[in-house]
Amino acid sequence: MVNILIDGLMERISSAIALNKSIGILLPSQNYQELIQALFERIKSKPDEAWIYVSVTKPFLNISNQLPFITEIKNIRFIDCISRTAGISNSTKNIIFIESPTMLEKIGLEIMNIFKEVDPKTKKYLVIDSLTNLIIYNDPEIVTEFFHNIINRTRARDINIISLAIEEEGMECYLNRLVNLNDKILKIRDSFI
Amino acid sequence: MPETQLKEDELCETGIEKLDEMLGGGIPTGSSVLVVGSSGSGKTTLCMQYLINGAKKGERGVFFTITEPLFKLTKNLDTFSFYDKKLIESGMVNLIDLRIITERLGLNTEKYTVEDASALLDILKDIADELNVKRLVIDSITALCYRLQTPEMIRDFIFKLGSSLAAMNCTTLLTSEIPPCKFQYSQYGIEEFISDGILFLGDVERKGDLIRTFQIVKMRGTAHDRTKTAMLISTKNGVELETLLRSRE
Repeated sequence: MVNILIDGLMERISSAIALNKSIGILLPSQNYQELIQALFERIKSKPDEAWIYVSVTKPFLNISNQLPFITEIKNIRFIDCISRTAGISNSTKNIIFIESPTMLEKIGLEIMNIFKEVDPKTKKYLVIDSLTNLIIYNDPEIVTEFFHNIINRTRARDINIISLAIEEEGMECYLNRLVNLNDKILKIRDSFI
Repeated sequence: MPETQLKEDELCETGIEKLDEMLGGGIPTGSSVLVVGSSGSGKTTLCMQYLINGAKKGERGVFFTITEPLFKLTKNLDTFSFYDKKLIESGMVNLIDLRIITERLGLNTEKYTVEDASALLDILKDIADELNVKRLVIDSITALCYRLQTPEMIRDFIFKLGSSLAAMNCTTLLTSEIPPCKFQYSQYGIEEFISDGILFLGDVERKGDLIRTFQIVKMRGTAHDRTKTAMLISTKNGVELETLLRSRE
């Protein structure tokens, strides 16, 4: 069952990113694990692409414990915004640790600095995981400004962006406003996969 | 990007990409610029990066410190990847502790008389001339003035310093220390009047965290950008400027 789910998700993500510059994925929290697994499987399957994964939901250590294969993926750089806040002080090679998810300017700068080093001909992708968790640590208005800024800058540099929005009660209006900034919105439901 | 009337060779590039963009190419050559900020705002790092970037393109520089011993300064510099020890060893970047100089001159290192201050100005000028420096930093003008005993002496010293700097063939950064969360440019209220430019380093609070900010308040001779930006400091890239998010600021 899980494999079918993940394959279905991978397919939907692949076809969406082939056609759109920015995709917002709205998903219930129970599908989060399958979705990120599908995303990482997709990243692994295309080693000639360059990916940045901004994690605000789970520390890198946590993700890599659950999905050990991600440590083998060469075409991905992680920006971990949550470990330091969670009091995890390990330093892992190739992972950029941001001291707090409130340091939005720093997150933006690190994204652009990494992509600057990538060959201009390489296809570039950015994942923001997740807008929901950015709102937990910041005012929704500033997250909107950040996301708007990131979308404009990535579009100008021909970078594709995938943003996750985990549905949460009371946050619908903020999340809808944010995901609507994307070219395409994918709504994940078990029954639709 | 703001337009400038100055030619490229009339501008002193800081080597900090976004800052040069905001300045319209760089600081007009020969200017004296006040770098204002409270403790920890990044004044010294910004100034060192300016000197080192200059040295990398062949412009000799000198850094006069009066606040920090040289061993501490170099130890801190060592953590930054823009720092190249060879530039110090080759004399392209000269680090000078003014307290040692005043001591060697037999001056009181804690309190200066009018004569001491005058002698010190002559020394600064002589060193800059002898080394043929294009970039000069004094860190800090506040600490220097603190050693003068009356407001009149401070005013007189600052105006003389301004005249000396104007006569030198180099672009100068003077750091100015202010208390945290204050929008003022200097401790004594005079420093800004001898300056051709003011770079203001501040911070904004977001959910209890402090975000460093940067703003060009004044830069004579350029149509500079006046927006407030976020300033980030990392060991990898030193000072970097980034668009400041300002919702609910």
